[in-house]
Amino acid sequence: MSDIAIRAENLSKKYTIPATQRHDTLCDQLSYSLKSVFRRNERAECGDKTFWALKDVSFEIKEGEIVGIIGHNGAGKSTLLKILSQITLPTQGRSEIYGRVGSLLEVGTGFHPELTGRENIFLNGAIIGMTKAEIKLHFDAIVDFSEVEPFIDMPVKRYSSGMYVKLAFAVSAHLKPEILMIDEVLSVGDLQFQRKCMAYIEELRKSNSTILFVSHNMFAVKAMCNRVIFLSGGKICFDGSAEDAIKLYEGPNKTSALPWAQNAIGADPSQWDVYIENVETFDETGMQRDLFNYGERIRIRLGYTVRKIVSNPNFLVSFIRSDDVACCNYNTAMDGFSVPSLETDGMIELLTPPLNLVSESYKIFVLVRDAKFENLYCAQVGKTFHVRHDVLNTHFGVFHEQGEWFLPNEVVDNKAFNFTGGLLP
Amino acid sequence: MELTAETGFKKPFKIIEPSKGLFQLELGGVWQSRELLYFLIWRDVLTRYKQTAIGAAWVVLQPLITMILFTLVFSRLAKIPSDGIPYPVFAFTALLPWSYFAQALARTSNSVVGSSNLVTKIYFPRLLIPLAASLAPVVDLIFSFLILLVLMVWFKIVPTWGLLALPLFLGLTIMTALAVGLWSSALNVKYRDVGSIIPFLTQIWMYASPIAYPVSLVPEKWRLLYSLNPMVGVIEGFRWALLGNKSPDFMVMAVSATVVTFLLAGGVIYFKKMEQTFADVI
Repeated sequence: MSDIAIRAENLSKKYTIPATQRHDTLCDQLSYSLKSVFRRNERAECGDKTFWALKDVSFEIKEGEIVGIIGHNGAGKSTLLKILSQITLPTQGRSEIYGRVGSLLEVGTGFHPELTGRENIFLNGAIIGMTKAEIKLHFDAIVDFSEVEPFIDMPVKRYSSGMYVKLAFAVSAHLKPEILMIDEVLSVGDLQFQRKCMAYIEELRKSNSTILFVSHNMFAVKAMCNRVIFLSGGKICFDGSAEDAIKLYEGPNKTSALPWAQNAIGADPSQWDVYIENVETFDETGMQRDLFNYGERIRIRLGYTVRKIVSNPNFLVSFIRSDDVACCNYNTAMDGFSVPSLETDGMIELLTPPLNLVSESYKIFVLVRDAKFENLYCAQVGKTFHVRHDVLNTHFGVFHEQGEWFLPNEVVDNKAFNFTGGLLP
Repeated sequence: MELTAETGFKKPFKIIEPSKGLFQLELGGVWQSRELLYFLIWRDVLTRYKQTAIGAAWVVLQPLITMILFTLVFSRLAKIPSDGIPYPVFAFTALLPWSYFAQALARTSNSVVGSSNLVTKIYFPRLLIPLAASLAPVVDLIFSFLILLVLMVWFKIVPTWGLLALPLFLGLTIMTALAVGLWSSALNVKYRDVGSIIPFLTQIWMYASPIAYPVSLVPEKWRLLYSLNPMVGVIEGFRWALLGNKSPDFMVMAVSATVVTFLLAGGVIYFKKMEQTFADVI
């Protein structure tokens, strides 16, 4: 009994999306309510849509376990974390928590721009659940950790964003709860900063804290978690070892709609004119692979379905690094390839030039527009591929390409030769 | 139950479930988080006058200027009586709780919406938010109180034993601001109209309270209805406690206190009921 940290039983969360519009002013609500009094069935007819962000999620987590929660956008990861950290209540089900909970859904929650770094340490510390005595005890360590000591009495609104995050994380890293819930906070900041985050997790792990960890970063999940819960459509679709979960997650070649596109095109991607069903990656010889060496060419095959004829289509493929840096883009319109009107389902293939991207993992974003970049027909994210290189990483930039180097006197000599060559005897 | 080595906290055992009973108010949680309440008040007080030229002087200037205006308009021009008390002191004594109330109500109404970054990111008893917002302006009130003391010395008014009852009326003022603030802050989360209504409401409310005029000006038969406005009892109480008003209307004070008690209890229950959806609606 005592070694259980979290028990969840059939946790479910329902959200309601009003069919037409939200009634956010009192007047709207009144007229809406009045109308529905007279037309009883209207509400049911125009149907406020409900959807279950989370449905019947049950699990038990033991003390000292580090559990990763993964899933695509909208799978219910954050909702689950919000319920477990009491920010929002479940619609159904229940959960028992054994221990002092700390939740870090972001770093620097409650930071006030007008307050100094020193003042914000106390404020933020209290908000995330530290006692005044604890903050005082750790104050020097927090300042040390944050590396912003010279600016500690300056309002944080004058901080650079890097300093701000460092200070914010420094406070968080001194929260030593028995159960920690983290949502993506570790994926911000530079590499050195991320190392510190890992060290913090490691320290908590040693003190037998239970950690629940939501992330899109599969490297981090693999490195830290001994168990992974994979959510999909609000349900647990896998609960087990990290390796198996990640295999499932990175999935064969499935794609999912980009959240912003659902606003731009339509909430239901299955109604889009064109839909990219799958994205596959091959090497030049046609071997299916998702791990490439620096400098290799990648063959990307897109399989699409067509629901409405699209004339003059323009396929775009972008590589987005795991830290959301858009690295490069290829599109049929600018690459001078004209695609015939899309009438039936089909496939299209892109062969990239030798990729000089640095060692990292890259998501493939696929968009279909028209040649003038005016209309958007679909926008999706497909599989992730990795590029490996022993030395080149994000510290070397996005790309690494060879430059030409000269020694200054050689340049002078060359010039001298160019200007005078042939004229002098 | 185990004790953790670092904090000495008793290991809590939380149950998270859908809906709770109407009267499950978890006020114990508020008490446990009193340190956070302190920090939230401290934040509000600290940030209030940062980057202003004359800083905390505003606290004193606002009621002072209002008092001068009131004296000119209501006393000199309109010849409104003041129960035999020098009008400036008479007005300022009422402005003391009123400025606090107006200030606290404005801040409390916006407190939850203004803390959306907290509400959606971390858990703590949500009651702390309006509580802190309504307590922070007490600091202003204390500064204005010092000005009142100066005025009393100037006009040679000697306080009576009634002064001992002042904390009681101060408490009643805070309760009033909190009671109305709880309703409006919770409503504001769903209906932003509240943000526009409150300043307007405050203005009407000011004329419905005996700030510029004495309660004795209100006809006897309307007195009971009039005192349903809790600020009537508060202001009457302040005048009695500080100035030793000859004919204090204790009935008015009792009615006001009762109204506030019900308003506050209702406010807490309503707020607790609505707070469950704050993170989803805000």
